[in-house]
Parts: sequence; C-alpha cells; structure tokens
Amino acid sequence: MTIARLLPLLVLLASLANAQAPADRSAAVPKTVVGPNNADLADGAAALKAGDAEDGVRLTQRGLKSATSRRDRVAGYSNLCAGLAMLERFDEALQACNRALELDDGHWRSYSNRALVYLKQERYPEAERDISTGERLSPNSRTLKTLRTMYRDAVDPVSPSIIIDDRRETEADEAGR
Amino acid sequence: MKRADRYRLPALLLLWATGIAADEPSVTYLEDDGHERVPLNTVAPVYPSVARRDRIEGDVQVCFKVDREGRPFRIAVRTSTNRVFEKPAIRAIRASRYQPLPDGQPVPAIKTCRTFRFRLVSTAGD
Repeated sequence: MTIARLLPLLVLLASLANAQAPADRSAAVPKTVVGPNNADLADGAAALKAGDAEDGVRLTQRGLKSATSRRDRVAGYSNLCAGLAMLERFDEALQACNRALELDDGHWRSYSNRALVYLKQERYPEAERDISTGERLSPNSRTLKTLRTMYRDAVDPVSPSIIIDDRRETEADEAGR
Repeated sequence: MKRADRYRLPALLLLWATGIAADEPSVTYLEDDGHERVPLNTVAPVYPSVARRDRIEGDVQVCFKVDREGRPFRIAVRTSTNRVFEKPAIRAIRASRYQPLPDGQPVPAIKTCRTFRFRLVSTAGD
C-alpha cells in the first residue's frame, strides 16, 4: 500500500470518535468507570482501529441499535462514517456523518471524517468548509492539520525546492529579493 | 483502560503520517568564482515536514570554517527567517565536504557562508 493511499486511512482512524463528549467530561462528577456502556460500539471502534473495516462497520451498526445516550450515538455514527469511508462506500459514509452532525453539530471528529469523504469525492469546497469548522472546534488537532494539507495538495499542489546559494552576499541578497 | 480511551486511537499514527507526507525536493545550486575552498560533496537539507505541511518557505544562511581535510566546523546560523529550517541547514553543512588543501597551503582564516532557500513550487500546471 502506498503512503498516499495510507494517509486517508490513518486520518480516518485517528478521527474515531470518543463516546464521551468533551463538554460532558469537564462537567462530570469524578467517578470510576468499570467498562463501556455499549460493548458493540467499543468493539467496533477497536476493529476499525485494527484496520478491520468490515467488522468495525458491522459491530458499530449493531451497537447503534442499542445506543441510548446521545453521545454514544454521535460517536457511533461518526465511527460508522469512518468505517464506511474505509470501505470506500462514500455516499453511505456521508449519511452517517450527517446523522452524527445532526445530533451534535459541535463534534469535530465528524467534520473531520466528512471532510475526508468530500476530499475523496473531489468535492473540495465542502471539504474546505468542514475542515474550517473542525479547526474552529479543535484548533490543535493534528488530524485536521493533515486534512488541511491534503486539501491544499489537492487544490494547489506544491513540490519542495531547495536552492543552495554559494554566491557572495551582494549577489545572493539580490537573488533572495 | 477508561471507557473514553476505548474509542480513541493514539495520535502517534498521525505523527507518522504527517512525517512521511513530504516528497523529495528538487535542488538548485548557485555559485560564483573565486571561493577559497572548492565544494567536493554538497548535501542538500531535507525540507521539514511541518514546514511542508504548513506551507512555510524561508531562508537560512549558515557560516562555518573548513579544516585542511575539507570538513566544515564551527557551524553557526547567521541569519534565518524561520527556526524550523535551521537544524536541517546545519545538518546539511555538517554532512558536506570541500576539497582538501594541498600540503603547505595555509588554511584560510575567513569563514565560508552558504544560504539555503527553502521554497514550495506550485505544480498545479504539471
């Protein structure tokens, strides 16, 4: 598998949603968590992380049927979006991302996943919009930085170039201007 | 493992992904006549992946002395537009070599300076 093909997959994997919303975490009373509420969602996420998209999608879909809390449903749909994108079922992936964002329009991982789907579909304006929204919600996200690079490389590709300038200063300064 | 962690992938994968996104730079060499020391093996710096990712360009001028055998030493950054380029520039100088001096010829006291210009060239028309 080439690096170019691997990169979107890694972005998706890193965007797997956390079932616990950040706002909820900060406000929560400290408590011991014995295990996940929804084992299928957790197993689905684990399968996706392991690169098993088929199993990940199947388990996440099963987990979504019994998911009751909004945050689990948001995480489930976001992960489903990632899994379907890994399987290159982009239209279905979009539906899952849209569902996650209907439930929580502040979920940056869903914007991230949807942006990647848009990039794969060459829908660049929509991808840019989602990346920007994600960046506003999570300014330090490496996933979104990678997506921003992928977007830029798609719409305005560049190649690195290095000039080694051994000329004396006057000439070199002029060349740099 | 806490419940929250079960849904999250370590960020290491992404670090790796961004680190390998950079491609090989093209290298242009500019020189003029009359330098005290003649380059033998000129090593180009790597384009930092973070700078490549964030579309940062910049210049670094590095000055150094060259010993009798042609090895650079006392390497120091003289001017720099962005610190991200300084380490690759120093590494490139350290790996470069000049022609050794013949026996009896004194080692010039003057420093040699080299400027690296890191650029990103649009390939949209290719």
